[in-house]
Amino acid sequence: MPRYGRLAALMRKELIQFLRSRAMLALILYLYTGEVIMCTFAMSFDVRNLPTAVVDLARSAESRALVQDFANSGYFKITHTASTDAEVAALLDRGVVLAAVVIPPEFPRQLAQGAPTSVQLLLDGSNANAASVAQGYAQRIVQNFALSRAPPSFMAGPPAAELRPRVWYNSELDYRHFMVLSMMSLAGMMVGMITAAAGIVREKESGTVEQLLVTPVSPGEMIAAKMLPPLLFCLLALFPSLLVAAVFGVPLRGNVALFTLFSAVFLLSSMSIGILVAAVADTLQQALLISFLVLFPVLFLSGTIVPLESMPLGLQYLAEASPLRHYMEAVLGLFLKGVGIAVLWPRLAAMLAIGAVLLALSVWGFRRRLV
Amino acid sequence: MRSLVGAIVWKELREIRRDPITMAVALVLPLLMLYLFGSALSLDVKDASLAVYDQDRSAASRALIERFPQSGYFKRTHDIRAEGEIAELLDRGRARLVLIIPPGFAHKLARGETAEVQALADGSYSTTAMVILGYAEAIVQSYALERMRERLAAQGMAAPLAPVRVESRVWFNAPLESVNYIVPGLFGVILMAFPPLLTALAVVREKEAGSVQQIFVSPIRPYEFIAGKMIPYAAIAFLEMLMILAAGLWWFHIPFLGSFPLLLAATVIYVFCTVGLGLLVSSVTRSQLVAMLLSLLVTLMPSFLFSGFLFPIYTMPVMLQLYTYLFPARYFIEISRGIVMKDVGLAVLWPQLLALLLYTVLVFVMTTRLFRKKVA
Amino acid sequence: MAGQTGSAALTMNAPAADWVIEAEGLGRRYGEHTAVAGLDLKIRRGEVFGLLGSDGAGKTTTLQMLAAILDPSEGRATVLGYASVREAAQITARIGYMSQIFSLYGRLTVDENLDFFAALHRVPEAARAERKARLLAFAHLERHRDRLARFLSGGMQKKLALCCAMIHAPPLLILDEPTTGVDPVSWREFWNILYQALTEGTTIVVSTPYMDEAERCTRVALLHDGRLIACDVPGRLRAGLPGKMYELVAHPQRRALAALQRALPQAAPYVFGERLHLRLPEGGGDAGEWRAALAREHVQLETVRPIAPSLEDVFVALLPSAAAAPPVAAEVAAGAAGPAIEVQELSMRFGKFTAVDGVSFAVQRGEIFGFLGPNGSGKTTTIKMLCGLLVPSAGRATVAGVELGADPRALRSRIGYMSQRFSLYEDMSVGENLDFFAGVYQVPRAVLSARRAEALALAGLAGQEQRLVRALSGGLKQRLALACAVLHEPQVLFLDEPTAGVDPLSRRRFWELIGTLAERGVSVLVTTHYMDEAEHCHTLGLLYNGRLIALGSPRELRAGMRAGEMLELECDQPIQALALFRNEPGVQASLFGDCLHLLVDDAASARPHLLARLEKAGHRVRRIETVPFGIEDVFITFIQMEQARLDTRAARS
Repeated sequence: MPRYGRLAALMRKELIQFLRSRAMLALILYLYTGEVIMCTFAMSFDVRNLPTAVVDLARSAESRALVQDFANSGYFKITHTASTDAEVAALLDRGVVLAAVVIPPEFPRQLAQGAPTSVQLLLDGSNANAASVAQGYAQRIVQNFALSRAPPSFMAGPPAAELRPRVWYNSELDYRHFMVLSMMSLAGMMVGMITAAAGIVREKESGTVEQLLVTPVSPGEMIAAKMLPPLLFCLLALFPSLLVAAVFGVPLRGNVALFTLFSAVFLLSSMSIGILVAAVADTLQQALLISFLVLFPVLFLSGTIVPLESMPLGLQYLAEASPLRHYMEAVLGLFLKGVGIAVLWPRLAAMLAIGAVLLALSVWGFRRRLV
Repeated sequence: MRSLVGAIVWKELREIRRDPITMAVALVLPLLMLYLFGSALSLDVKDASLAVYDQDRSAASRALIERFPQSGYFKRTHDIRAEGEIAELLDRGRARLVLIIPPGFAHKLARGETAEVQALADGSYSTTAMVILGYAEAIVQSYALERMRERLAAQGMAAPLAPVRVESRVWFNAPLESVNYIVPGLFGVILMAFPPLLTALAVVREKEAGSVQQIFVSPIRPYEFIAGKMIPYAAIAFLEMLMILAAGLWWFHIPFLGSFPLLLAATVIYVFCTVGLGLLVSSVTRSQLVAMLLSLLVTLMPSFLFSGFLFPIYTMPVMLQLYTYLFPARYFIEISRGIVMKDVGLAVLWPQLLALLLYTVLVFVMTTRLFRKKVA
Repeated sequence: MAGQTGSAALTMNAPAADWVIEAEGLGRRYGEHTAVAGLDLKIRRGEVFGLLGSDGAGKTTTLQMLAAILDPSEGRATVLGYASVREAAQITARIGYMSQIFSLYGRLTVDENLDFFAALHRVPEAARAERKARLLAFAHLERHRDRLARFLSGGMQKKLALCCAMIHAPPLLILDEPTTGVDPVSWREFWNILYQALTEGTTIVVSTPYMDEAERCTRVALLHDGRLIACDVPGRLRAGLPGKMYELVAHPQRRALAALQRALPQAAPYVFGERLHLRLPEGGGDAGEWRAALAREHVQLETVRPIAPSLEDVFVALLPSAAAAPPVAAEVAAGAAGPAIEVQELSMRFGKFTAVDGVSFAVQRGEIFGFLGPNGSGKTTTIKMLCGLLVPSAGRATVAGVELGADPRALRSRIGYMSQRFSLYEDMSVGENLDFFAGVYQVPRAVLSARRAEALALAGLAGQEQRLVRALSGGLKQRLALACAVLHEPQVLFLDEPTAGVDPLSRRRFWELIGTLAERGVSVLVTTHYMDEAEHCHTLGLLYNGRLIALGSPRELRAGMRAGEMLELECDQPIQALALFRNEPGVQASLFGDCLHLLVDDAASARPHLLARLEKAGHRVRRIETVPFGIEDVFITFIQMEQARLDTRAARS
């Protein structure tokens, strides 16, 4: 006798409910598109347009040429000119400029004589990273300026050694490529976790979960049904975000089907975190706060915002437990490196393992608390 | 006699005390965040994994390779024997930089020609890649200069000095430690991340449960209710600040240059501002899920992205730069960094403080306006 | 400042001292929907005013407008002499209000909740301790002062919420369905607190779905679709009911009901326990016709007698939709007899606390078994064990032929369950809910459409499959939930307080459904706080402190009680008279509409003494007579006996 599949009925119900919460759908779409765009614009560690003050005490053609070189580099943006040290100090104190270039009065004379000379660079070192990068840029600008002015006699033959750098995967070193992918992964993490947790806790709060538990439905079936709609919708939402990625010029070098597979496994494992949260929490407020508590370290230990290499070793090991970390690696591999399953299978295995452990824990948790 | 504000404050404090999850979010999460950001968020590259493909196998090539681990920036993790391994290592992310020394390196050096060295960097983390390449270039350059000097010395000429030097002086954070910059910024982010969320959830929960109706039917006035809700959460936020400040000073050894009282005074304004924002969110929402998402969108996200905490505002497009003025975290982070790192005072920071104060008053007034003692 | 407003209030109140509430043309719309319209209401000082009506009739909206926490869209109201919109702050500062929902702070203790509300209402420090102690004593909550409010039972929470609303001794109390889900014991204590307030001159406005409660009001107003359709003293409303009420005993009852519904649809016949009630036109109507109809169906008519109409009869008669009751199917497939549930020494312990203690009983096929007992006595825990939601600590049970714990899946496919809370998905439509439950129970496709149609008819929702459940009234939701729970034709049905907060008409239809199911052979185990519903059950089990203290049919229980006699007394000022007997040993007094009910050991010996006391206090007694016990009296007496037994045992050890 043909039977109305129990799991099918559960899934149908979940889909109906999921599609009926319009606000949630809009939010997911926003996370996958608007959010990705915003963050990609905002989150950049590149040092560009550093507000800079110039104190040109030489007032010569040479000094003006050097200042011009600074301005043209794109790294520095000359926003102020000052004439005294006190003025410069005030500008730095107020944080109006982050760097100041001081060209001494004897600069043109020494330059003409071929005598050693120097340019002073004052840097606001608060942002250590930006400051040290800027320092490097300044050095390069001044070096080039000097070389272009150096009398030929100083050039004693070609340089002894030279580095020919080549960058793989992201040859223009565009931080945005990384950011787009990172934000896409983050969106999946947040949506997967919160929808799964909220979906279950809502049933707990309204009491319908009891009704379900007196039907022949098993906790495993219930959880499986809960995971389906967000999974499907998030996979669909990936495509607009791929469009965003394309607009930012991110190439998809790998296989789209493979990317979908990885995303599905990743979403499942992040939803398992949400389900575990729901197994512990009794109210929506608790679930939301716990998700928040969990989400934060998971995000942080994923390499999405901060590279993992610079972290202490202990944290690096801990990061292996974050599905986001594996997905991030996989996505970078698929998009920027164009590698395939032969290289990425350990990531897939890791995500599957994390998901399986968490799900087993949640099913156990549900049995213990409810039955 | 206790005032009505006092009654609300007393009730809130008692409820919070009995709510372990709220307590955890209020007190544990900030420390966790401080720990993670303070110890792990460093863009300074140390010990980047380096794979070496030495095809020359000469004394000269070994001397150059030696300089990489010596610099402290690289850790030599792999030796490559065949061309095919290179792609493998980069694909799997095992090496950040591959250094290739072609055959004939020593020979070219000896003949006075330019000996080329290749470096392959993994550009997927572009920030790190850029920094790594910069270091590599500096190492090779200094090696080259030394060889040139040797060569010139052998020809009996004095080594030519670079004619123009950059004499750089770093202010405020001379050792260029990221942590000194991140921790004062985190003050602004943490106080914006958790207190408003907790406040919004607490108030919306009371709305959902219906107990707020009992508040409607009481002599309390809206501003008294709002103030009563604000004070306990602001107090918790202030406690959070003291905790992370202490952790920053004693754990991360942040040099604190400026005035404690000034920072604490600014904190008082700021915590009222952040908690007020949480209340504002709660007054326009009816469900906890929406309240949580909305408070993420108006408090945590902007304080993280658009406050200059990690991502410098000056590199953003102009529209986004203007957008950052909408969120108070920007002002507070400027104040906090100014006081902690630069030892500047009111004379410099008054515009930010004023902005923060106006913001707080505005938020309070709006929240009071929006809170009506009516069910619909 | 405070003195100023106080004197202003006095002068304003002086001319219209009698009217605490005056509403004229009060109305409220939410978008397109009109919740309340054209409401005229005047409530005098010292009244207990009841607001009746089915779900969605506009009771809550009305009360919120009177409490000045909702602005009316039209009309105006004056409360305690203040305009409800312009001077809302004056009103909210003075009145006491208890909303329908849980209004306490779960993470505060009983004491702390009271302290908070006392501070919120600026109760002076000096008066606070005394008032708190008095309220706690009345509510019997002294022992629980340090318990968190969320760990109190439902009845205790309601009592505490009332104490909180009264901590500032408000001149006007507005209570929105305050006793939903409260057991009879707590309910009496709840009303004792109210009586105390009444003797102090407080005015009370209360909305309620309980007719017993309505009977205790000095005046009641009946709302329907946002309009006032009747407002008067309960006695006068009863007297004004057109026609006469009759009670018949007929066998077989179900066939009799079906025949009467066909022959006399206007008479709205309904089942009241072992009897049928119906309302016939003045003079009995054409008695021959319906008697003949019964005879045609081979129904044996045992007795017919006229009875006084209850407020519920008035309510049902006044509602325009009352005549449209769905007819009951007369044909019943008789199931084989035999026990469907057998419980032996079932126990459940949570840590040190014993929730259920050695309970044994059996339920036959087609039997309706009623579980009664105060909140927290173990009813829900027992049901959860029998459904397999909790694993018992000790004892055994067989449900629908399955040993507990043996085969949970088989068990679950043979039972139906409906919990206290609405167990439907509110964001899904009626049809989607039905399809979902059909799916999880794997109802065979061949019978699905027939069952679905039947379920829709059962719930009275045919043709409304597209409606979202959220938009249905409470009564409709309950019936739909029941329809969903029986979609797979379970052998045993568990209903945990299925009718809490549902209006009388809906409850009446709900019980007709249960009756139909039982006659089809479904065994029903139901818990309820409505004592009139207990009359519908074949067997009653009374749980107290986790132990089954009485078991039997309603008639057996009533007969087995030797606890004294009940006197009904009618006098001019029942509230003041009630206060007179408050601390009288050997007398338990309660207000019953405009009468007093006095429980005494022996009516003959107590009567002269009681009359003497009343006379001395200046009361004029119009009538005093012995009346039969209600199930509620039985219930309370059994509990008092059990409590006495426990107390003596505790004293001995």
